[in-house]
Formats: sequence, C-alpha cells, structure tokens
Amino acid sequence: MKKIILITTAWLTVSACQEEGELTHDKVIAPIEASSVLVYTGDFSPTSGINVSGQAKIYLEGTKYRVQLEGFSVSSGPDLKVYLSKSASPSEFVNLGNLTSATIYDIPQSVNPMDYSHILIHCQQYNHLFAIAPLTSN
Amino acid sequence: MKKILLCVLLFSMNSTIQAQGCSDAGICSAGNSFQTQEHEHKNGLEFGSILGAGEADVRYFSPYLTYSYQFNSQFAMSVKVTYSQASGEFGQRGQFGDAYLIGNYHFKTEKPKKWSLLVGGKFPFTRSNLKINGYSLPLDYQASLGTFDLITGLNLNYKRWDFNTGLQLPVYNLNRNSYFKEYSGTDDFPSTNLFERKPDALFRTTYTYQTQNKKWTFKPNVLLIYHLGEDSYETIFGKRENIDGSDGLTLNGNLIGIYHFNKKNSIELSIATPFVVREVRPDGLTRSFTAGLIYKTAF
Repeated sequence: MKKIILITTAWLTVSACQEEGELTHDKVIAPIEASSVLVYTGDFSPTSGINVSGQAKIYLEGTKYRVQLEGFSVSSGPDLKVYLSKSASPSEFVNLGNLTSATIYDIPQSVNPMDYSHILIHCQQYNHLFAIAPLTSN
Repeated sequence: MKKILLCVLLFSMNSTIQAQGCSDAGICSAGNSFQTQEHEHKNGLEFGSILGAGEADVRYFSPYLTYSYQFNSQFAMSVKVTYSQASGEFGQRGQFGDAYLIGNYHFKTEKPKKWSLLVGGKFPFTRSNLKINGYSLPLDYQASLGTFDLITGLNLNYKRWDFNTGLQLPVYNLNRNSYFKEYSGTDDFPSTNLFERKPDALFRTTYTYQTQNKKWTFKPNVLLIYHLGEDSYETIFGKRENIDGSDGLTLNGNLIGIYHFNKKNSIELSIATPFVVREVRPDGLTRSFTAGLIYKTAF
C-alpha cells in the first residue's frame, strides 16, 4: 500500500505541469502599421520596490486604438495586467489583458482613450500596483 | 436485478447529454461521507480516479485520496485530497485541487431509522488562476474554485434507502481567476475574472441493493443540486456583474456498483450523468459524463 501511495504521489507531482494547446500558443500579433498615428506617449515609473523601464505609446490605426510598450521591462510578478486608467491608481480602468511578451494591446472599440490618462502595470492577484505611465498628447 | 440492468442501460443511453455533472468532490460526494467503514476496522483508505467529459470537448482526470478514522461507533472523521487535470483546446493543466476535512456523527436511534450528521470544510490549494504559457484559463481548467467552503449535511437511512441533504457554503473567497472571454479567442467559456460563487444545496436519494452472497452492492441514486443565486465576475472595466442564468437546478443520475473482495477490501465503479442543468455554468461544473473507479480498504 505504501508503494501505491508513493508512486501515486510522485506521479501527481510530476504531472502538475502544463502543456500548451491551440488557444495558448504564442499568438502572432500584427505589428503597429507604419501609417498609424502616435496620439499619446508615457514614460513608466515604478512603485516602491519595483524596477521598470520603457514607454507606453497609443497609436490610432484606422479607427482602432492600440497600445504598444516600447523598450519595456518590469520586475516579475505573478499576475501582471495592463490597465488603461483614468488616474495613477487602479480605480477606474480598462483591463487590456495579461502582460505578455506580445507588448501590443488592442483597446476595445467602445473605449475612447481621450477619457483615460495613464497606463498601469498592475498585479491583479495580489492587488499590487507595479508601474505607472502618465500619458501626454502628441 | 433486471431493474438494475435496465438502469445501467438507461444511463448509458443518456451519456451524451450535454449537461452539468459533478465536478470537484465537494457537495456532490457529500453523501458518501455518511457511509463509514465496518466498525471493527478503525482506519479506512480510499483511492479514486474519475474520468469526465465536459463542455467544449474538455476532458478531465480527477484522482483523489481519502483517509478516514472511526473514533467510536458514532463518530468518524475523514481527510480527502483531490487532484484535477483538464485537457482541451487550451492545452493540458493539472494541479492539486482541494483538501476536505469532514466529521460524521451517527445519532443513537432506533432501527430501522438511522440519522447521521456531517460537518466539514473544503480548503483550496489554488486561487483558481492557473495559466498556460501566460494565458488565463477558464474555471473549467482550474483544479479548484478557490474558495474555503463550509459543508454540512444530514442523512436518514431507512431500510435500503438513504436520503441526504447538504449545503456547501463558500465562506471565504480566494478566487483570483483572470479569464476574459474577450481576450481568449473562443466563445466557449464565459468570463470569470475575479469570480464569486454562490452556495449550493443538495438532496440525494439512494437505493441500496446487495446480492445474497454480499459480494456485490448496487446503489442507484438521484442527486439534485440547487445553486442558490447568480455567480458574478468583474468586467474589463472593473465593474462587478452577475452572470445571468448561473443559478438554478441540476439533476444528476448516478449508479454505483461495488465488488467486495472481503470485509476489508472493495472496488467500486461509479457512473454519472446530468439530466437537467443550469442555463450557464461559469464555475466549470460542466461534466456531461463521469466514470469513476474507486478502491477502498479498511485496516
């Protein structure tokens, strides 16, 4: 019986892993088109204990707004999100999704970026703000 | 016996129903906790492995281990640890799910009626935010719903019949799921970002038939689960919204067949499928069919 429990535990530990599927492969995200218009820019600054560098830029591409993080790096966190926010704290915001290596995020069509003033990097799982980029109009 | 075979056939015919079955080992298995091992053995060990099929072709493998200890003829406790692995379009993700601590008290009552009470808790091992390659996953792929739950139940045993009632009440929510349908590339699963779930109430009726040589036991049972309110999630705008149609009734049919090797060891096959389901099941409790193989030993 001990052997069964040991083998089972070992097997479960080993199999506590992940395997990518059709919806979780790295997606090919279209780059910002050369004809896009840069409308807002912001430099990231960190909160206490965090390292960050880079810029957030919002482009108008046809009728669609897109956010690009340029030269961006940040301290690692467990559940980092990119927020388009109305202030320097995450109280009124649009969650643009998980922070990934993609670095380009589409802003939903129903959202007017003019109503927002910051790009934030926020850890949702532990409700901890990592970085703030105040946006200025170009 | 013919009736039992007919039941098996009917279950098999209905196995393609797309509906909700039991997923984690929470309230769905509460009825089993009323049944303790023979009193001459204080310790019981149960190893189960359940295969399931859910919505959007998600397949589940959910083993568990239960240890129970009989303190006296009236009181027993059990500890259970679950694991769940889900496979589908998002890939494959496995993790330990929850631990259960359940106490079971049998009242001293006159035969043929026997009453017992069950009180316990569910303790999650995850915050329901497991990811694959950095992509957030719906609750269907999460090993736990990420809540501390209080589980209570009452059982009446009358001759060959068991009647269980139960309540699974989330008392503390650790769920930090971050799945948005908008960003996932599929409409198969609803958004469950920062999911909050409502309690479930259970009613189960079980009929027990044992062959004359006591080698085989069959337990057809019907399980009703009522989800007591609509679950909610936080939208991409940070606003909490109820999920329409996530409350209501689920009706499951379950057939258990047990072969007793001797007084100490038995093996059990359990198959289940739902007949009535909720309109929306954001919690991922979408099993359309489950089959479990369980080995029990007492010592």
